[in-house]
Amino acid sequence: MPAITEVWKVLFKRPFTNRFPAKYAPRSVHGFVRRVQAGKAKIAPPVPTPPNFRGKINYEVDKCIGCGLCIRVCPTKAIVWRTVEVEQGEKKVAKKKVKIFVSRCCFCSQCVDICPKDCLSMSDEFLLANEDKLANELIVL
Amino acid sequence: MCELCTLLAGIIGTLVLGIFAIAFGLSVKGIDRKLSARMQWRIGPPLRQPFRDVRKLLLKQSVLPKNAVPWIYNSAPVISLAALISVLLFLPIGPVPALLGASGDIIVVLYLLIIPGIAMIVGGFSSGSPFASIGAQREMVLLISYELPLSMIVFTFAWMYSIVAPSLPALSFETFGTVPIWSVLGPAGFIGATIFLVVLLIVTTGEMAKVPFDIPEAETEIAEGIFAEYSGRNYALFYLADAVKMVVLPAIIIAIFFPYNLSPLLSEYFPNLPMSDWVAYGVDILFFMLKVLLIDIVAVTFMRTAFARMKIDQAVRLYWFHLFTAGIIAMLLVAADVMGVL
Amino acid sequence: MEMSDEALYTIPVGPVHPALKEPIELDLRVEGERIVGVDVKCSQAHRGIEWLGMNRNNSIQNIYLAERVCGICNVCHPYCMVLAVEEAAGIEVPERADYIRTIVAEMERIHSHLLWAGVAAHEIGFDTVFHYTWALREEIMDAIEYVTGNRVTKGIMMIGGVRRDITKEREERIRKALRYYEEKFEKIEDLVLHDKTIRMRTRNVGILTREDALKLCAVGPVARASGVPKDVRQDYPYGAYADIGVRAILPDQYTGEIIGDVYDRIVVRLLEVKQSIQIIHDALDNIPQGDIVAEKNLVKLLSMLKRAEGEGIGRVEAPRGEDIHYVRLRQGEEPFLSWKIRAPTYNNVLPWIPMLLGAEIADVPIVAASTDPCMSCLNRVTVVDESSRKEFTLTKERMHEMSVRKTRRMMRHV
Ligand code: SF4
Ligand code: SF4
Repeated sequence: MPAITEVWKVLFKRPFTNRFPAKYAPRSVHGFVRRVQAGKAKIAPPVPTPPNFRGKINYEVDKCIGCGLCIRVCPTKAIVWRTVEVEQGEKKVAKKKVKIFVSRCCFCSQCVDICPKDCLSMSDEFLLANEDKLANELIVL
Repeated sequence: MCELCTLLAGIIGTLVLGIFAIAFGLSVKGIDRKLSARMQWRIGPPLRQPFRDVRKLLLKQSVLPKNAVPWIYNSAPVISLAALISVLLFLPIGPVPALLGASGDIIVVLYLLIIPGIAMIVGGFSSGSPFASIGAQREMVLLISYELPLSMIVFTFAWMYSIVAPSLPALSFETFGTVPIWSVLGPAGFIGATIFLVVLLIVTTGEMAKVPFDIPEAETEIAEGIFAEYSGRNYALFYLADAVKMVVLPAIIIAIFFPYNLSPLLSEYFPNLPMSDWVAYGVDILFFMLKVLLIDIVAVTFMRTAFARMKIDQAVRLYWFHLFTAGIIAMLLVAADVMGVL
Repeated sequence: MEMSDEALYTIPVGPVHPALKEPIELDLRVEGERIVGVDVKCSQAHRGIEWLGMNRNNSIQNIYLAERVCGICNVCHPYCMVLAVEEAAGIEVPERADYIRTIVAEMERIHSHLLWAGVAAHEIGFDTVFHYTWALREEIMDAIEYVTGNRVTKGIMMIGGVRRDITKEREERIRKALRYYEEKFEKIEDLVLHDKTIRMRTRNVGILTREDALKLCAVGPVARASGVPKDVRQDYPYGAYADIGVRAILPDQYTGEIIGDVYDRIVVRLLEVKQSIQIIHDALDNIPQGDIVAEKNLVKLLSMLKRAEGEGIGRVEAPRGEDIHYVRLRQGEEPFLSWKIRAPTYNNVLPWIPMLLGAEIADVPIVAASTDPCMSCLNRVTVVDESSRKEFTLTKERMHEMSVRKTRRMMRHV
């Protein structure tokens, strides 16, 4: 019975668990976040993301030509059309652009692959939990 | 002392003892969970987690299942907790002699120990859920199984005292305290008593219904079994009963096998220590708590971490066959020692 | 504990039960602790994945849908689907892509089998082994994340190849993980296979005979543990398996005999972890240079698929057994014309009945878990009633009628 000796050995090992974001669940998550923002508490760091991690999407709106390919391949239909007014010399023209609802995105990165102008990319940001799925941070314009 | 004063002292003593047992039991539970987590390579909950659990359970609604028998269903947890606390009244707590030691003996303790189990069985059956019924059946079988080795140990030693110290009451924990068993046993008896100690530790695990003997509750099989329907205050009482069990059962082991105190030793080796009576009392109580903790770590934390859950027939075989055989051997060894055969 | 004339009663295990992590219902008729009747009720959750693939999505979108058929087999389902689509559209996959697919699929097998070992240990109340195996599983998860960009949904399959190459650093990372498991394998084996309490709970429990395994079409480790040498990687090699040469693993390689019980299934899975490590080593050693995808331009690929006409079948040995996808494409239509998934759990649920009859209630969780069921893969109708012989089939007409009635009822309340 190997477990009999193993448990005593493990007892004196450092726990495997990563302490992210804190060793114990805080009494109130909001309170914890506020204390962190005020610099009163520290977040234990998460496991670092590897290179080419697929996290929250980045969108460089100026480069976008509005071809709509990303909309066509997005499996979750997280990308929708949007028109923006752009000043061109004297007059204003309506240009087709997109917006991405991160709360729907499944981080497949397919839109990044298909975009002909490389205006989409994936960052390594993954702490995206939010109570409001239409929060401003979760809509990429 | 007037009768009223005795009564009052008894009530206050019971209250103090009850609160001590609950608070200490919950802390032991916290330590147990922490250590078990560390053994499993985890961080585990903070030490005060059991207290929070109880608080949360007390805040929650106590749901009465539709086909439960209300009065049985609601009284089972109370009886369970009350019986366990009353066991404590018959046990010496370190330097404090048993509160009701004069009027009861080991037989009473053995009977009282069955009550929580029976309350759980009745509560399980009365909750009218198939999972709880199966759990109750299993608890019944388990109760019968571990009772046998337990009584065997107690009666062997009682018989031993009736021979080696006929002047003392054989069936009293006081006797175990005044003449510790190790002091009267020779080498053969020593081996026998050690076997008994191991058997009793395994019985303790079964009595506390922890893995590998958590068969009546078996979370993944019958969804907490007996407690499947319990919630809120009722479940909190069972939780407290479990915590008190973690003090009571080790206290029995201590009373039988390790009835020693630290303060005599301390004052012997360090004669210039300022050892007033109160300090000695405190030291001994702390020492008692340490002993309880160590026994819990072996009989609960280690056991539940290092083994898989058994099936009920396997557990019965273990208790009735293996432990019984071990018990018989130990009994013969002790008997041979006492009779001077060896 | 035998109480002879005790009334039979039924205990429902599921759809929500701590032993089952996913919705399925087992109605057990028990006599004391003994099980005398078993009734499996599947289809507690239907997600309409195939419908989405046939009505809403184009082929590329379907890859990600297939990935979400099951959270754990998220390589074998898309793998199977792209194989079917490639067959239907006549796309040749570059050899390097085949190797990369094989490597990722085997990495998935390692993580899935370790995950399973933990779950099985938890079912028999051995949480320590559960925590240990899951902690050890982290390494392969990190390697997967490094190679594919995500821990769970790997998103590496593409019709005609793969989306990410295995570069030098990625190869190094995989080798590091493999070395870690070669080192730790003995410990895992020791903890799981040599533990007396685990043996007590799994030896001679939930036996599936070779005949039953063949009759009920069991697949994957369940069939292999019963002595059926069945493995798609051996019988119909795909990807790089033909070059590597995989043999089905039978438990007698380790124990010298085949019983077909839960213990044998554990043995098969653990040996497969070892086998997967070897396969990945071989694949990394022999990986050819070249393209990783047949058509780099996704726009072109999409229009090519739109023009394609035909049907194809993909067969993949998922960690749980053989997975089959059938896909039919019609010219001018982007969604599949038809898409049918046959996940391994579909075959491995019926064997529960012979495994459980005569067993004890305490055996239910571990026996059910021993087939590594994945309800999210399985969502079709199976109606069996052993004791009362009642047959009950829902016809399409009747279901349609029922749903129309329900819609009306709901509209009235809006
Ligand atoms: S990453 Fe995938 S899901 Fe997210 S927006 Fe791009 S295509 Fe859509
Ligand atoms: S594919 Fe790229 S360029 Fe085209 S619409 Fe999307 S973001 Fe803009």
